[in-house]
Formats: sequence, C-alpha cells, structure tokens
Amino acid sequence: MANKKYWQSFSELNNSDVHKELSENEFPESLPFEGTDKGLANAPASRRDFLKYLGFSTAAAMAAASCETPVRKAIPYVNKPENLVPGVADYYATTYISGGEAIPVIAKVRDGRPIKLEGNTLSSFTHGGTTARVQASVLDLYDTARLRHAKANGVAADYEAIDKTLAEQFAAVSGEVVVLTSTITSPTTKDIIKNFLAKRAGRHIQFDNVSHSGMILANEATYGKKAIPSYKFESAKVIVSFGADFLGTWLNPVEFQHGYTAGKKLNQNNPTLNKHYQFESIMTMTGANADARYTHKPSEQAAVVNALYSAVKGESVTGVSDSVKEGVQKAAAELNANKGAGLVVANSNDVNVQIVINAINEVIGANGTTINWAAPQLTHQGIDSEMAALVADMEAGKVGALLIYGTNPVYEYFDGGRFANALSKVKLTISFNDREDETSQLCKFILPAPHFLESWGDAEPKAGSYSMVQPTINPLFKTRPFQDSLLIWTGATETYADYIKTYWTAKLGGDSNYIQALQDGIVETNNNVTGAAFNGGAVATAVAANAAKKAAAGLELVVYQKVGLGDGKNGNNPWLLELPDPITRATWDNYIIVSPQVAKETFKIDLTKVGQANDYEINVMKPLAKVTVNGKEVELPILIIPGTEAETLAIAVGFGRAKEIGRAVIAQDGTPVGKNAYPLLSFNGNTVDWHTANVSIENTGKKFKVAQVQTHNSYEGRREVIKETTLKEFQADNKVIYNERETELHHFGGIENFVEEGTLYPQLPKPGVKWGMSIDLNSCYGCGACVVACNAENNVPVVGKQEVARFHDMHWLRIDRYFSGNPEDPNSIQTVFQPMLCQHCDNAPCENVCPVAATNHSSEGLNQMTYNRCIGTRYCANNCPYKVRRFNWADYTGADSFANNQQPLVDEGSMDDVVLMMNDDLTRMVLNPDVTVRSRGVIEKCSFCVQRLQEGKLKAKKENRPLADGDVKTACQQACAADAIVFGNANNPESEISKVRAENNLRVYHALEMLHVLPNVNYLAKVRNSDDISNSGVLSAEKHEPKTKPAAEAHH
Amino acid sequence: MALKYESHVRGPLVEGAKDYHQVTEDIVRPIETNPSRLWWMGFIISVALLLFGVYSIYRDVTYGIGQWNLNKTIGWGWDITNFVWWVGIGHAGTLISAILLLFRQGWRTGVNRAAEAMTIFAVICAGQFPIWHMGRVWMAPFVMPYPNTRGPLWVNFNSPLLWDVFAISTYFTVSLLFWYSGLLPDFATVRDRAKLKWRKFTYGLLSFGWTGSTKHWQRHESLSLVLAGLSTPLVLSVHTIVSFDFATSVIPGWHTTIFPPYFVAGAIFSGFAMVQTLLLIVRKVLKLEDYITIEHIEVMNKVIVLTGSIVGIAYLTELFISWYGRNPYEIYAFNENRLNIFSPYGWSYWLMMACNVISPQIFWFRKLRRNIVVTFFMSIIVNVGMWFERFVIIVTSIYRDYLPSSWSTYYTPTIWEIGFYLGTFGLFFTCFFLFAKFFPVIAIAEIKHILKRSGDNYKQHWVEAEKESLEKFYHDTHQDHH
Repeated sequence: MANKKYWQSFSELNNSDVHKELSENEFPESLPFEGTDKGLANAPASRRDFLKYLGFSTAAAMAAASCETPVRKAIPYVNKPENLVPGVADYYATTYISGGEAIPVIAKVRDGRPIKLEGNTLSSFTHGGTTARVQASVLDLYDTARLRHAKANGVAADYEAIDKTLAEQFAAVSGEVVVLTSTITSPTTKDIIKNFLAKRAGRHIQFDNVSHSGMILANEATYGKKAIPSYKFESAKVIVSFGADFLGTWLNPVEFQHGYTAGKKLNQNNPTLNKHYQFESIMTMTGANADARYTHKPSEQAAVVNALYSAVKGESVTGVSDSVKEGVQKAAAELNANKGAGLVVANSNDVNVQIVINAINEVIGANGTTINWAAPQLTHQGIDSEMAALVADMEAGKVGALLIYGTNPVYEYFDGGRFANALSKVKLTISFNDREDETSQLCKFILPAPHFLESWGDAEPKAGSYSMVQPTINPLFKTRPFQDSLLIWTGATETYADYIKTYWTAKLGGDSNYIQALQDGIVETNNNVTGAAFNGGAVATAVAANAAKKAAAGLELVVYQKVGLGDGKNGNNPWLLELPDPITRATWDNYIIVSPQVAKETFKIDLTKVGQANDYEINVMKPLAKVTVNGKEVELPILIIPGTEAETLAIAVGFGRAKEIGRAVIAQDGTPVGKNAYPLLSFNGNTVDWHTANVSIENTGKKFKVAQVQTHNSYEGRREVIKETTLKEFQADNKVIYNERETELHHFGGIENFVEEGTLYPQLPKPGVKWGMSIDLNSCYGCGACVVACNAENNVPVVGKQEVARFHDMHWLRIDRYFSGNPEDPNSIQTVFQPMLCQHCDNAPCENVCPVAATNHSSEGLNQMTYNRCIGTRYCANNCPYKVRRFNWADYTGADSFANNQQPLVDEGSMDDVVLMMNDDLTRMVLNPDVTVRSRGVIEKCSFCVQRLQEGKLKAKKENRPLADGDVKTACQQACAADAIVFGNANNPESEISKVRAENNLRVYHALEMLHVLPNVNYLAKVRNSDDISNSGVLSAEKHEPKTKPAAEAHH
Repeated sequence: MALKYESHVRGPLVEGAKDYHQVTEDIVRPIETNPSRLWWMGFIISVALLLFGVYSIYRDVTYGIGQWNLNKTIGWGWDITNFVWWVGIGHAGTLISAILLLFRQGWRTGVNRAAEAMTIFAVICAGQFPIWHMGRVWMAPFVMPYPNTRGPLWVNFNSPLLWDVFAISTYFTVSLLFWYSGLLPDFATVRDRAKLKWRKFTYGLLSFGWTGSTKHWQRHESLSLVLAGLSTPLVLSVHTIVSFDFATSVIPGWHTTIFPPYFVAGAIFSGFAMVQTLLLIVRKVLKLEDYITIEHIEVMNKVIVLTGSIVGIAYLTELFISWYGRNPYEIYAFNENRLNIFSPYGWSYWLMMACNVISPQIFWFRKLRRNIVVTFFMSIIVNVGMWFERFVIIVTSIYRDYLPSSWSTYYTPTIWEIGFYLGTFGLFFTCFFLFAKFFPVIAIAEIKHILKRSGDNYKQHWVEAEKESLEKFYHDTHQDHH
C-alpha cells in the first residue's frame, strides 16, 4: 500500500523523457519567452509574448520608478530574553576606561546594544559630568577596525592553541618578563599582574603617553609621596595655572570643571567670582577662559614660576618680561590676600618646576585646603625614566617576554622608532590591544581585550573612590580580557569575572553589598581634605636649577593635546575627529598653530590688514609649512591663532596613525590624517619634555586643506550676540547688562513689553508646558562634551573632512568661539564661547517661509522638523539668523532611496571613507532607535531632544502624575560637567529653568533679541573677573571704546 | 486700433518698398525653406548644452545638492540667482506684448512675437531652478495645495516660495495663451501657402481652423485686449512676488521694502537686453533687417537706459536707507559685504554697478543707440550685470549675516552648478531655434496692420495722407487686416 502511485497520463506512467522535461519545467523561473536565444530584440514576438513584454516592462518600470527605500528586516526575538522589553532602555553603571583615565558612567542599553553614556551622578568627584571622549567612547565599541579574533604570528588562532604555545614559550623565556601597561587604576588587575609576575622574574611598567612624572617626582621630593594629590578648584578663589589645561586635558578635567564652576557661578545680588591667572605660551582652552592671561616663551616657564615664587614670598621679581612681571605681581598679591584659598598648578613635566610650584602652594597655604592628599589621583602613575630604562633593557636583550596592554609605545612613545627596534629584540611579544595598532603589528601574539562596555572590572581613579565596570553587551568578537589571560597563565582556574566578584564580595562584606556596588557603579570611602607634611629641602636647588635655565632665542615648539582627541587613544573615533577644536575650530587634522607675528613674517599674512585677513579666512587652503625640530621635519598646514606667544609654534598629538587603526584615520588620498607629533617630544634624561627650542619653520609655498567649521574670529562688536562685562562694572552696577538690553529694546516697549509691542500681531497664550533652556556663558568652557553627546543622542551624521571643508558639517549644536583684542598682543586676547543651537523661536523666521509647513511650532514651544514632509528648499536655513539649520547635502547616512549613490562621487562632493564606515552595519548599532536617521535632501536641527521629552511625559502619564522638573534632561545638559545648561518647563515657576531665569534676570539675554523672533533659549551674560573687555569684541589692532554699547540702538 | 497721425521724424518701421505679399514672403520664407548651416550649428550646440544640463541635473538628483558648492551658510547660490535672472528676462516679452499693446505702440509689432517666445522659454528655464534645487525633488508635488490623505496637512500660505509657485504658473499660463492666440492668423497664413501635405495638416491643426472671417478677427482682437489686460498686472506682480522671497525675510540685505519696484525695473531692463541680443541675431540670420529696423533697436535702447537708470537709483536708495536706518547689521551688509571692493565679494558689487548703471548711460547718445555692434555688446553687458545683481543680493547678503561664527568660506560654483545654468541656455536656445524655424518670428498680421502707416513706401505719402479726410483714413486702415 505504501508504494501505491497514482498516475495522471500514460506518459507519466511510462515515465517518458517528454514527461520528465515537462515536469521539471512545471514552474519555470525564467519568463517563458519564445525564441529569445537570438536576443530579446530579435525575438519573434507573438501576441501573447507582446503582452508578456508589456506586462513585464510596465511592472519593471513601476518597480524602478517607485524608488522604494530598501527595507532592512529586523528579526524579532523568538524567545524574549528575561528582563528585556523591546523599546525600553536599560541602564547599567559602569566605568569609562582609557589608559589610566577612569570616569564613572551610566550606559544606556537599548535592545541589547549600549548606545549612550551618561556621567554617574553618584560620583563625588565627577558629579555626573563627562568629557567629549567619554561621550564618544561608545562608538569605539562598534569600531570596524577592532580585531575580531586573536592572532598568532599574523594568522588567526584560537585561545586554547595560543595558551598551549605560550605555556611552552613562557617556560623557555630567558630574561625578564615585563608587563607594559598604561597606568592601571584597577586594584584587581594590579593584583593579577602581581600574581602573574610573582612566579617569574619580571616587572610591571606603567607607561603614560602623557606623563606627569615630573609632578610625581616633585611630590616625592617635597611631600614624600610618589603620587599626585587631588586639586579642589571649588575651594580656590585665586587660581594660577602655568600652561595647565585643567579644564580641557590636564589630569581630570571633568572634576576640575565642576570645581572651577563653583567660582564662576555668579550671584547677581552679591557678585563675586574666582580669579584665574594663566601663564602660557599657546592658547589653551583653559587659558581662553582665564580672567587674566599672560604669555611667555615655553623656555621661560621655569623663570616665570620662579618669579611667582619670589613674588609670593614678597621678594623682588626678576628675569621675566615686563608684562609677565606685572601679571606675576598681581597674581602673587591676590594669592597672598587669599591665603588658604589659592591654588597654583603647572603642566610642566620638569621636576624642578613642579618642586617650586609645590613651594608656592605651601607659601599660599594650599596644602590641605585646595590640595588634598587624602585622595590622591591615581590616573597617572607612569615614570618616564622607568620606560626609558625598559627600552634600554630591551635593546640589551635583557627582556625575554613583553606583554603590552592598553598602551601603544611605537606610536606614542617619544622615540617610537627606537622602541620598535627594541621590540624586535624581545623573543616573546604579546599585545592585548583591541586592534592591530602600531605596536601590536610588531608583536607575535595579539589577544585583543574587549571594550570596557563588554568587560568586568573595577577602577580606582582616586584613592578611596572605586568605580565598577560591568558588561553591558555580550562581547561582539572573540576577545578575551587581559586579566583572564594572565589568570590562565598564572595557573588560576577562575575567570576574571569570578575574581572580581570574590574580591569585591570580600572587600565590601557580602553579596548584597557587591550587588549594590554594581548598581551604583561606585564605592567611595574618603571625603576628608588633608594636607601632607611639606619638606622644603629640595626647593632651593630647584629654584637654582630653574634660574639656570636660559631662555632660548628663536622659535620654539609646544606639543599639546587637543581637547577633543586628547592623547589619541581613541584615535579612530569619527565623532572626536569631527569635533571642532574649541580654539582653532578645525576638525580632522592636526596643524601648526602659529602666532600672527610668524604668519606675517614667514607666510606674509597680516591679520591686521582686512584684505589679507579675509583672504586667509575665506580660503580652506592654508599654507603648508615645514617645521624642523631637532633634525626631524614635519610638514603641516598652519593656522594663525591670536593669543599664541609671538615665537611659539604648537602641534597636537593623536594624529598620523597607521592604517590598521581604522578607516577614520586615513585621508581621501590614502595618507594618514595629520602627522604624528609624539616624535617631536624629547627626553631630558629624567622626564619627557613637551616643548623644544631651536625650531625653524619655512613656507613650502604649497597649500593644504584644513576643515574648519568657523572661520571668522571676532564677534565684530555685535553685542546683541555676545554680552559681556567685567566683574568690577557688574559690582558697580549690576544692571549694566539689563540696561543695555533695555536700550536695545526701548523703541519696542522695553524688556517688559517687548513680546507684545515688538510686533503688530496679537500674542497667543502659551499654556501648559513651555520648554526653555538657559546657557550660562560664565560656565561654558568650550570643551565640546555636549556636542558629542548631541551627536550620539540624535544620530547626527559624520560627514568627513572633505564635507566639513565645504562647510557641510551637520552638528546640531556648536560652540562658537570669538576672540577680541589686538592680534599682535597675545596678552590682550579675550575669548568667549557661545554654545549655539536651535533657539526654538516662538516667532520663528524659519517656520513661515517653508512652503510645505515642514517646520512648525509645537504647543510646547518647540520648533519642530517634520523630516518626511521636507522637500529641501533650504529657505528656512537661509532665513535662520542663528544659522543652526543643517541640510543633508548628500547621502551621509545610507538612508536614501537611491542606491549606490554614496561613493564614488567624482571631484566635488566626494565623501570620505569614514562616512561609509559610519554606515557599516556594525557601526550603525550605535544609532539611537528613538531618533529618525535623516535621509538626503532634508533639513535637520536641534529638537531639544524631543524623544526624551516624549519619554518623560509618557513616564509621568503612566505614573499618573504631572511632569516633574528634572524628569527630562537634554543630552547636552546632561553631558556638561560645569552645569552651564539648564533646561525645563519655563511655565512651571518651581522648575530650575524658571528659577535660574528669575535669579539671574539681570544677566539674562536672548541672542539677537531685537529681531523679535522670541527664542526659547536664553544666555546669561559673561562676567569676567578681568580689568576690562578687550576692544569691545573686535579683533583689531586699533583701540576701541571699551565701554559696553549696544550696536543696534534702532532696528526696524 | 491705430492712430491717425504718426510723427514725421520717426523713421519707417518697415523698410524697403514692401507690399503685403512681400511681407508674407519675407517672414514665412524660413519656414518653407531648409534651415541654413548657421541654424544647424546653433541648434546642435544648443542641444549639446541642453544634454549637459540634463546630466548635471541627473547628478544633482542622484547624489544630492552636495554636487553644488552651497553650504550651511549659503543655502542659495547660483540656483536661485539663475531663477531670478531668467524670470526677469521673461518680463520684456510680456511688457512688449501687453503694456505696449495697451499703449498703442506701433513699433512693438516687429518684435513682439519673438519677445513673447522669449518670455515663454525664459519662464520654462526659470522654473527649472526652484524645482531642481529641492533636496527631494520627487516630493515637489507637496507644494501644490491639493486634497490629500495626510490629515489636515496643507501647504503654508505664509511662505513666499508658495506665492512663487502660484505667480510663476499663472504667468506662464497667461503668457502662453497670449502668445498662441497671436499666432493663430499667422499659422493660417502658413497653412494657406503650404504646398506640402504635412505642413498643411500641421499648420491646419495649429491654426485652429482660422478662416480670417471678420468674426474671427473681431474675437481675436477682443481676446488680445483681454489677455493684455490680464498680463499687464502680471508684469508687475510676478517679479514683485519673486522679490518677496527676499524682502519678507529677516536677513540684512534681503529685508528691504524697495525690492518690488526695483526688481520689476531690473526685470524689464534685463528683458529688453535679452530681446536685443536675440533680435540682432535673428534679423541677421533670417535676413529680417527690413522688419526689425534700427528704429526698433533705438527704441528699445531708450527703454534700457531708462530702466537701467531706475535700477541705479534703486541701488543708491538702498545704500542711503541702510545708512539712514542705522541698523548696524544692514550697514555691514551694504558697506562691508558689497561696497567694500576689498571684501571677498566686493568685486561682484562693482561689476554689477559698472554693467547696470554706468555702461547703459552711453545710450544717451543717439549715435550709440543706433549702432548695432554697440547695442549687441551692451545687451550682453546688461545681462551679465543683471545676473550679478541677483548674485549680489543673494550671496553677499547671506554669506556674512548675523552671527560672525557662521560667516562662510568662499563660494564658487561646481561644474554641475554651472552645467545646470548652461543647460538652461541649451533649453532656451533649443526652443528658440525650433521657434525660429517653425514659427513666424514676426507677427505677420500685425506688421501688415502698420504697414500703411509706417511702411517705407507709405511713409513718403504722409503729406497726402495728412490731407486725407478722417473718414477715408479710417476706411483705409481698416482694410489693413485683409
């Protein structure tokens, strides 16, 4: 019965050939055209074929014409993981780790993917602040250049095999086993390294690419502690910084920004501010925020520090220029007048300079008040001479095995070439770096460690302040934690995750405490402020040594870190590379910063001549210069930055990477982006110097494209845009800003009645929620954390250097930087930073010009964009007085209806590979699913993070309560370490925004208020603790009326 | 329909001893003979340019507006400059056909057909720019107020861009109807003369069955008057509305109440220049020197010097008001962005001044007005100047506006931006060459209308004509049509 078969025809019964063929062709996949073997055009078309052709071609034309966006299918969970609700974010406390840097963060995880980091507000030193690098680090997780598996001798290998090989090789090692890492703040990792080395002859070297060993050694000499103390800027009324960019790159800027802000918040009824003196050679971001800034040559720093030491002791000041002398005396007077409330810091890596700094701090009573030895900073522990000794040992063949973790000396050691040579003399080299970077390439084994968001761990950035690291996603690739490898090679059976658990459960006394610690992310024990015993024995020698340093003649070079990219450890991060530098406003490259004097002499560009200044500023092609430093030549474009000491040049580190670092570091022509500046550092036998004398620069006559997002430097006295005054003036009359505003508006009813009387039209009531933002210019330092936070939150596309150079940058939030003063006198330069974003005007000029109403006003005061309605006329962007609207000039996101239109775009409009990198399926995992990815041809702009507002309102609604203040925060607000941005419902009198506006009503102003566009963003005028306001906002050699005078007294 | 008296000092508008038949022969000849080598050359170059323009637009649509060098500060550049320029050029045609008709200007008959054709083609070219400058041109129908399924979503009637949509489409429709209705009797003439079957058929269709009956003529005349009445306000309104794109904005340099009259004068100015350029070529190539005479050229040169001076006054008024208004942003826009020749775009302002205000003043001299070479040269200069006027208004206002942080780098067009512009030239001349080949480039019927008054051989009999009784004169002139 089972074999019974029915047949339909005799041919089937007989299984004839004809039948076989027919049955095989029963459902032919090709169109059954006849005679197409002669080509479709010559085929004899029957009537039926004609109809087929017609039908097919119509359908094909329809399919082609409909241009439907390719659908990417998302596969739903078959079995939903527990505790995971699709569309609802989870938050995990963890820690940002980069080298020694450790900042407690909260990771937002959507559908299993970490997409955004916020600061952990429980931390007593970061207070929830972040830096641009912290914000950008989530993108590194999805970096396409990360190694996806271990490698042994250049080929993929699995870990068991490597372990087996290494067991043999470790046994055969003759000579030392050295573990070379960046500073390790993790107590467990340190233990594991110690245990690993305990069984072998070896040592652990910590190498900091940006080292503070001069400080550490100075502290050892004067305080007997080989460490760096905490600095309490919040307790300092007078701050003197010698080149230390403590708001941008020096030690822990998040902590310092928060502390510094305490002295920059102004009470309008009792106005006082801290006073910040900066002595430096190049315009750092911190210097840009200083109340008084004095420039000197880099080689004069020791003399200037000595001068301050003399001055605070009441001795006469010698050996410095007159202008610096004046500054030193003023600073000393203030420091002495505020004993116990002063703080002096220096960026110098010179032991003697730092010893004298310590001596000054001792004289002014900083030890134990603004300098806290109870909680030393542990983020920088490297000693330069130890690294130098290691390299010598490697060269001598004394090192048998080198394990490299978290550091990349071939690139970031001052003599990387020598290190690379030395590395080849080591038999067994193992790298744990996450990619084939400059050092890993030369190592025999690469065992990539996971990203911190995939890892377990802990960190102790300050003694007594612990921060936990926990995974937020399953490891994306076949990575293995460095610690796991060491544990295995030590012979331990537990994994690092178990180790952490055991360690912390024991340390905290129980499971529940451990779970609590993981939830909070931090464990803190010590909050005291104590000093340390000061031993002045070394001071006299140090003073003498400083005095013996002769100021060099001629040009000098300063190597510095960019505020965004820092030391270059996140060198392949497109968000950081596209983040404009706060001072130069340039993206993507490094360059030589030159003073206006050098520009005039060597490049024949005189910024005081309008024509030449215009030419320089409107052309993206900047002169290409060749700098020679100790026989090393570097060719880079120049940028002229006022405020740079006349004979000083500066180049940033972090650029000029190997192509294996990733797709973002290679320019369109295949060369690296920028040049590596680490080789321009020098070693003085004790510490690494970040400045060099005897430098020459020459004009190559060639030009090089530099992508700046802002080219004009001065605010042209437009006080409707920037309002600033001095503390003295504000103390004399705290209505000085208010009165100026009143003058501007008095034709239209004055401040009180401006809203109604500034227009012919009746005003409509605005009940319910009315979102508003207040930005305090006094506490915006320009660091750009908010900009990167905005990029991450709102899926702002990366456009690459070529597009930025064409002024096609897409940032929704930018930080405008204006200089004023005389460009030929660097000490006169004053800087102001103004975060500029959509002002959400209630009477928005963009809204009424859109022909299709794609941009319109919400009942909550939001100026909103309807992307799918936008047809891209760009009229709104033209009519925006703030120029905050951004147009999608090309298919930056891959969201376009047109296929294959991203690359290549010949000549004009060709995009960089980084744009495609950002569209890689891996990188796209970082996208925020709550925010539309915009397609080509539409305008976009700041939305006040409307997705967060909706989420907050929904949450309140579900909990059946009114929206509370603080329920929602914008991404920029949350990222700011200085709390410069306040956001909330301005209709709620209890909200912080209402309070800030009421408490600062004498400083509140709106940019371009007289236009009657009625912005929902207000600024708080900048009050400087300076003697005067330079040239009323104009960058010009001529002296202008310094008095605050509104430019627009009448406006129609 | 015509005045009895015409001044003796005015030269004849039709030269050579023409009679009615000769007029028809002269004007229809190009249609009935094979095009010359010159025509072919011009036509092929035009089509080549057109194709280049099509490719430029293809790139813009496929790859994005990033194919152009516009940027975050300069949202409009060559695209809208070209748009305003082409729209302006169109104005002369309407002015000639409508306003001069109402004012009974006999000289218009020699040039109105070609000028109206120019209007139609210029508006077609102008329309390309607002369409293809859109980031998502496939969504362009959103600008039409039609019932839709998107809820209460409607167009934004506050937007000057939307007013443009209505203004331009109305203008185009009325101009087209006006032009076509004028063509009817001439098409019939071609039809009646046709010896080839296809020509008879085609022109038969085109002429809508025109028989030349009195009833046809009477309706034709009425329709002309009605359409002239409709077109007259359009001459003023279209460019007024185009100027609102700028005048209603908040940008210093755009936000100016003088724009509407200033734009209209400028449009007529550039339109006449373009008419001159075209007609000087046409009369040469098609040997129509007898119909488009030096008189015509001189009259149009007078219009050019008049409108050029109006435009000049407008420029000076703008400067005065910016100073008088004491608005520092406006003062900066005028003094620094424009007047200052050393500022990045200062050269474009002074180029505009030289071309539009200073150089047309040579037409105060009769000799120069009547010099064909000078006129041709000047007609080009004026259109270069008027192009720069729009460029100055658009680009020099926005490239440095309120916030100095957003002041732009130097804007130069890409090859595709230029290609788009050249493409519209291709489109314009392709249309114009086809028009010159297949359509009577001069209104035959209207020339005949004035022949007995302004024709060379009739003008000699003026003394006699003056002695004629009024009744006889009317009788004669009303025979004109037949």
